[in-house]
Amino acid sequence: MNKKSEEYIDFGVDSRYSTIEEKTSDAVILMQARLERMKNLPKEQIIRTKLIQLKLEMDEFLKQGTLGLSHKFSDFLGKYIDILYTKHAYFSKDLNITPVFLSQIINGHRLASEEFLLKLTVHSEKTFETVCFFNKNTWFQIFYQEKINQLIFRQDEWRSEIEKQVKFSELV
Amino acid sequence: MFAKYGIFFYIYEMNIVDVSTDELIPIEILPVEKTDYKFISKNRYFFNWKEEQNQEVLKLIIKGKNDILGLISYEDIPEEWRFHIRLLTVSKENKGANRKYSKIAGNLIVYLAKLAIRKYGIMGCVSLRPKTQIAQHYIKNYKMKITGMTLSLEVPEILDLINQYENE
Repeated sequence: MNKKSEEYIDFGVDSRYSTIEEKTSDAVILMQARLERMKNLPKEQIIRTKLIQLKLEMDEFLKQGTLGLSHKFSDFLGKYIDILYTKHAYFSKDLNITPVFLSQIINGHRLASEEFLLKLTVHSEKTFETVCFFNKNTWFQIFYQEKINQLIFRQDEWRSEIEKQVKFSELV
Repeated sequence: MFAKYGIFFYIYEMNIVDVSTDELIPIEILPVEKTDYKFISKNRYFFNWKEEQNQEVLKLIIKGKNDILGLISYEDIPEEWRFHIRLLTVSKENKGANRKYSKIAGNLIVYLAKLAIRKYGIMGCVSLRPKTQIAQHYIKNYKMKITGMTLSLEVPEILDLINQYENE
């Protein structure tokens, strides 16, 4: 590679398609090649990808902060289990909890206990160890961020009753 | 490597490297705003970025500063599960052997790689169509695959690149 082209590399690239035809024909060739390569992808790479995808989704949720009333903790938990286990019962056995307890958390009928969060954290640390960087506080952060979101966005439901109970006997 | 959010929120932090000191400098990658285009000249950023105003365009800045060190424009192509890079550049003073910071272009590509994996999972892909002989640079440095005229980052190499930048 000559000096001029090396300098060109340094500042960037113009990768825009010149024509629609060019874009279309490139897309067809690329898609065929990608699908072919995908056929040979080992199962462990598929699991690795799904775990990294989940981690990126969780990071994004935390980065965005207060976003509304979604049940992200149970959504993420359900995804995590589905990536690793064929049945939720196997996961509950590994965490030494009952399948009913797990099911209630996933369906949003019960809040995750502190002990459950600790077990989930230990399980995730081991799972992600060889996959990618995974912050050990992630599940706690997701859990409490969701609680914060619910308190903020459900003010209409709790405010009037709570305000009745709060007195200001020595208000300056 | 990690940024602090509030009392206990820690999230992975992106960095570039100060070439003269090897110091890691925390950065942010944000959408380019209309007012930014006043400062994005062809002289400093090599391309006519005003042509990209109707595209998705991101800027790389040092945290807490406004000066743009790198730019990328891209197209999300959902029917192909891929993000195609249109233009990518570093600012003039970050080009060549005497550059001030390294890893500007890499961080912009990795940012797009994360978007692709987050949105499209196993089919996530970042593509590039260099018009000159610079393809080898991207194959060597980012482990891109070549298909016809297109370079692409796919699983598993795209995951390795994401991990590489998170672990450095």
